[in-house]
Amino acid sequence: MSWTERYLAAALRSIPEPKRTDVERELRSSIEDAIEERAAAGEDRTAAERTVLEGLGDPSALAGAYTGRPNYLIGPELFPLYRKFLPRLIAVVVPTTFIVMLAVNLAGGGDMQSAISRGISGGITVAIQIAFWATVTFVFLEWAAPARQARSELVAAAGQWTVERLPKVQDARISVREVAGEITSALITIGFLVFSVGLTSTTASGVEVPLLDHDFRTVWVPILIALVAMRGLGHLMAYNAGRWTLFLTSANVLAQVLFAVPVVVGALSGAIVNEDFARVIGWPALESGNGVPMIALAVGTTLATGWEIVRIVLRARRSQGVAPLVTASTPTA
Amino acid sequence: MPDDELLGSHRQELRRGTVVLACLLALREPGYGYGLLKTLEAAGITSDGNTVYPLLRRLEERGLLASEWNTDESRPRKFYRTTAAGTELATQLLADVSDLTKSLHSLNGRS
Repeated sequence: MSWTERYLAAALRSIPEPKRTDVERELRSSIEDAIEERAAAGEDRTAAERTVLEGLGDPSALAGAYTGRPNYLIGPELFPLYRKFLPRLIAVVVPTTFIVMLAVNLAGGGDMQSAISRGISGGITVAIQIAFWATVTFVFLEWAAPARQARSELVAAAGQWTVERLPKVQDARISVREVAGEITSALITIGFLVFSVGLTSTTASGVEVPLLDHDFRTVWVPILIALVAMRGLGHLMAYNAGRWTLFLTSANVLAQVLFAVPVVVGALSGAIVNEDFARVIGWPALESGNGVPMIALAVGTTLATGWEIVRIVLRARRSQGVAPLVTASTPTA
Repeated sequence: MPDDELLGSHRQELRRGTVVLACLLALREPGYGYGLLKTLEAAGITSDGNTVYPLLRRLEERGLLASEWNTDESRPRKFYRTTAAGTELATQLLADVSDLTKSLHSLNGRS
């Protein structure tokens, strides 16, 4: 089978039937005309055929030009809507799924660890599903001829862009108040840790029993204090630098995670509170990894850390935007 | 001197809008696909088959061109001819191009 035949077959495949025969006849005669002329000028026929077909380019692109079908999945008309819609949908549905899965698993008598892991895997699955189906929907709107009407209506409903839609520019400079707030909160956390190390209860026989488990008290509490102090220091450095650099942001996130992991793991494995202390005060559930206080501590720490990391990342993004903004608004004269 | 790639892409951008006009003007004399390419080329308008062939069909669908198969010769060819509506559009577009050229030259002369 000649190249021309193969080219025609490839190009015509996606052209709908009523047009196909006519397009084939015309395209064939155009190709033959072009080859003929080159051959008449003394060129080798096979070489001429190659040049002509390669000049016409990818047959599927040519077919796209004939049918008016786009050479992209989502075009410029729909893309802004897609970019706006998909992240928002995911931002709403994924945390909801996580919380629902967590609650359902806990209510069903599952332990915290497997409930959390099911919540996370549920959230990931839902995110992938949403991304997939939303993309499929937009591609359908873009490609399917019967959906053209729906597409124009959708774009019209999204409305004309007006200046009111401009995002607010947040002040990305780090204020003294912000730094003072962070340092105060770091000092409070450190104070609380030191205070809990000193917290004891006295048994009937007069022995002082500390609140915190021995290992946690002697090994982890100093590490946690150091991490909190580092966080405060990081804020001072960011204030000094005028913005959150990539290094400071990463270090801050790392410090958050390093703080949360021993607390959550310790709480869930019952390694934070001293067993004897819980017994002395008559509340054994206080110590247990499956008891309400420790689960609350683990969940609270996880949520607080997650929220804190989101804040850090948002702040860093704001910081990134600040440099060109300042340069652009500087008068040149 | 801008590099060839930059010049090429801007030239392509400039010419893109004028292919329709060129086809409508050229086809006031009936012509077929490959013949039209040659006519355009002779007039100094380079264009590719993969642009012109699908364009002819779109213009026909909009009633700016009319077509007829000619089977008298050894190779059947589809001949296109600019319709009255096509001629009217071409006249308008040609005036626009002249205006545009004038405007550009006046901008050029001002500096």
